[in-house]
Amino acid sequence: MAARLSSNPSKRSSITAGLLSLILPGLGQIYARQRYRGVIVLFGAFLAVLIAFWYGVPAWYAAPAVLWLWNVWDAVGAARGKLRSAFLPLLALLVMGYGIGWQVTGIDFSALIRNLDRATSIVIPMFHPDFFSGVETTNSAWAPVEVPCGPNPPEAVNTVNGIHVAISPNCGKLNQELTVQASGLWPDTPTNIQWATPIGDILPLGKGFITDLYVTTDAQGNLDTTIHIPPSALSAAPDPTLPLEHRIYLVQSRPRPGFQLSENGGYVVQGIIQTIFLALISTTFGALGAIPISFLAARNLMGGHPLTLSIYVIVRTLLNILRSIEPLIIAIIFVVIVGLGPFAGAIAITLHTIAALGKLYSEVIEGIDPGPLEAIRAVGGNWIQMVRYAVIPQIVPPFASFTLFRWDINVRTSTIIGFVGGGGIGFYLYQWIIKGDFEAVSSSFIAIAVIVVTLDFVSARVRARLV
Amino acid sequence: MLQIEHLTKVYPNGTVALKDVTFTVQDGEFLVIIGLSGSGKSTLLRCINRLIEPTEGRVLWDGANITRASPAELRQLRRHVGMVFQQFNVVKRSSVMTNVLSGRLGYVNSFSSVLGLWSKSDRERALKALERVGIADKADNRADALSGGQQQRVGIARTLMQEPKLILADEPVASLDPVLSHSILRYLEQLNKEGITVLCSLHFLDLVHRYATRVIALKEGVKVFEGLPKEIDRAKFKEIYGEEAQEVRATTVEEG
Repeated sequence: MAARLSSNPSKRSSITAGLLSLILPGLGQIYARQRYRGVIVLFGAFLAVLIAFWYGVPAWYAAPAVLWLWNVWDAVGAARGKLRSAFLPLLALLVMGYGIGWQVTGIDFSALIRNLDRATSIVIPMFHPDFFSGVETTNSAWAPVEVPCGPNPPEAVNTVNGIHVAISPNCGKLNQELTVQASGLWPDTPTNIQWATPIGDILPLGKGFITDLYVTTDAQGNLDTTIHIPPSALSAAPDPTLPLEHRIYLVQSRPRPGFQLSENGGYVVQGIIQTIFLALISTTFGALGAIPISFLAARNLMGGHPLTLSIYVIVRTLLNILRSIEPLIIAIIFVVIVGLGPFAGAIAITLHTIAALGKLYSEVIEGIDPGPLEAIRAVGGNWIQMVRYAVIPQIVPPFASFTLFRWDINVRTSTIIGFVGGGGIGFYLYQWIIKGDFEAVSSSFIAIAVIVVTLDFVSARVRARLV
Repeated sequence: MLQIEHLTKVYPNGTVALKDVTFTVQDGEFLVIIGLSGSGKSTLLRCINRLIEPTEGRVLWDGANITRASPAELRQLRRHVGMVFQQFNVVKRSSVMTNVLSGRLGYVNSFSSVLGLWSKSDRERALKALERVGIADKADNRADALSGGQQQRVGIARTLMQEPKLILADEPVASLDPVLSHSILRYLEQLNKEGITVLCSLHFLDLVHRYATRVIALKEGVKVFEGLPKEIDRAKFKEIYGEEAQEVRATTVEEG
C-alpha cells in the first residue's frame, strides 16, 4: 500500500505538510512536491463538499470527511516520500455518488407492487386491441317534435322504411313527458331511442339523460313507451323561445357475420401510412441535403488549405450541434411555425437526418482507399473518370446502407413525433393515451411494432447485400 | 529510352525523398530499384509518371519531357505507362471486369465512360487481358472476392489494357505470400520479353538476382549503386541496407 519513491526523496517537513493539508486539502501534497496529486485532491475534496452541501443531508458529509482525513495522512506520507493508496477516499466518493444518485432518481421499487391495481386497468384493455369491429345491420326511423310549442306544431308522425312512428303530444317543453308509438320494427329487438336537436346533437334519453334508453319491441314489432324531453335540448339554441323541429330516432341493430376495420382501427391505418411516408420523405430529403454537406465535412478533402479547413470546422460544428437536438424538440419549434401536422414533423426529422447522415457520409468519404484514385490517374484518366471509377464505387454502397438504416430510425422517430403535433400515428396515440382509450392504444402499439420490426428486417437484409 | 536527370523531391514537410538522382533506362530493360523502406523508391517511380510532382530535375521519355507536359499531354503520356501497385489499388466493390476496363480510361471519351458504356472491342480486350493472367473466369466477381495474388493479377490486366510501353511496378509482390511472388513477377518478366520496359522496386535480393537485368539502389534518396545484379555482394548489400541488415530470402521455389 505504500511505495517508496525511487527518485529524489522529498526533504520537506511531514508536520508542516500535514498541517497544510488540514487547512486546505492538497496543499500539503503540493508543498511536498506532489503538485499533480495535490491538485486532484483539492478538486476531489471541493467537489465532494459541494455535492454534500447541495444535497443537504448531513450524513453524506461523511464522505468529504473521510477524504479530508485521508488527505492529511497522505500529505504526511508524501513529505516522507511515500505514496499512499487512494482506495479509501475513492470508495467514500463512490458510495456518496451512488447513494445520492439513488435518492435523487427517486428509486422506489415498492411502487411497482403497491399500484398493481392501476396496471390492470391498462393491461386488460391492452388484450383487446381496437382494430376490427363486428358488422351490423341497422334499422331506424324518426318522427319530428316541436320544442317549445309554437302556434302551429306539425304532425308528429313519420314513416321511414316501412316503420311508422307517432309521438304525442306533437310538441312540448323541457322535461315534458311524451308517448312514443311505433310499428313495423324488427320484433323482440332492443331499440335505442335517441333525441336529436335541430343542429344534429344526439342526446341519450336513459336514466339521468346520460345513458342510452333501450326498449324492446314486442313479437309484432310494435313499441309503445314514454320518454322525457331532455333538459339540455335547448342549450345550444340561440333563442330558447323559438319553436324548432327536434327529432326522436328509433335505432335497432343486429350483428352480421364478418368484421370490418373499426373507427379507431381506421385511424391507426391512416396514422401508420402517414408515419411511413413521413419517414420516407424526411429520409430522402435528409439524404439529398447530407450528400453535398458531407463533402464539406470530410477532412481528407477539406484539410488542404486554411480556408477549406475552416469551412470543415464550421460545418462539422453545426452538424454536431444540430445532431445533439432531439427531433422531438425541433418539431415543437416547427409546429409553432408551420402549424400542427406531418409537415412540422417532416422538417424536424429531415434536419436531424441531414446532421446524422452528413456525419456518417463524411466519415465514409474520409475512409475511402486513395489507392484506386491513384490507379485511375496513373492510367491517364481525368478527374470525372476518377470520381466515377474510383470514388463512387467506394462510397455508394455505404451511403445507401446508412440511408436505409436512417429510414429505419426515422420510422421509429416519426411514430412519436406526433406526440408534439408532428403528425403520424403518434398524433392519434397521444390522444388515446390522454383519453384512456387503451384498446386503441393497444392496436397502435401492435401496428407500430409490426411496421418497425418489418422494416428492421427488410433494411437489415438489404444492407447485408450492399456492404 | 527513359532518362532521369537530377531528380529531386522535397515534400512540403521538409523531407528530402530524392536527392539529385540521375540514370538512364534503355528500352527492353528490367530495371530493379532496391533500398530500405523510405529510401525513395516509391517517390522515384511516381515522379516518372508525375503522380508526384518532382521538385527539381527532369524526366525524358523518347525525347518527350514528361516533367514539362501540360495536363492533357501528361494524360496522353500516362496511357502508355502502366503502373502496378503494392496494394493492388483495385476498387474492391467493383467487378473484376470493371477494374480491368478502367485501365482503358485514357483512350475513351469521358462521357461514355462515365455512363459505363464500353465498346465491344474494349470488352474483348479486357477478357483477353484476364485470360493472359489466368483469371478470365473471375471477370464477373467482385474484386474483394479474390485473393491477394489474384487481385494483383487484376492490376496487371488493368495495365495490359493500356498497351503500355513502360511498366512501373511499385513493390508488386511485397503484400503477397513469398510463394506467390514468382507467379506475379513471371508475368512481368514475360511482358518484358515482349519488349515492354519494366521498372520495378523489390525487397528481396534473391528476386533481384532472378529477374533484374540491371539494378539501382537508393539510400535516403541518393543513388548509391547502379550495375548488374551479380555485382551486389555482401559488402555492397551492407552498404545499401546498413550494417545490421540480414538478408532474408523470399522463397526457395524452383527457378524458371
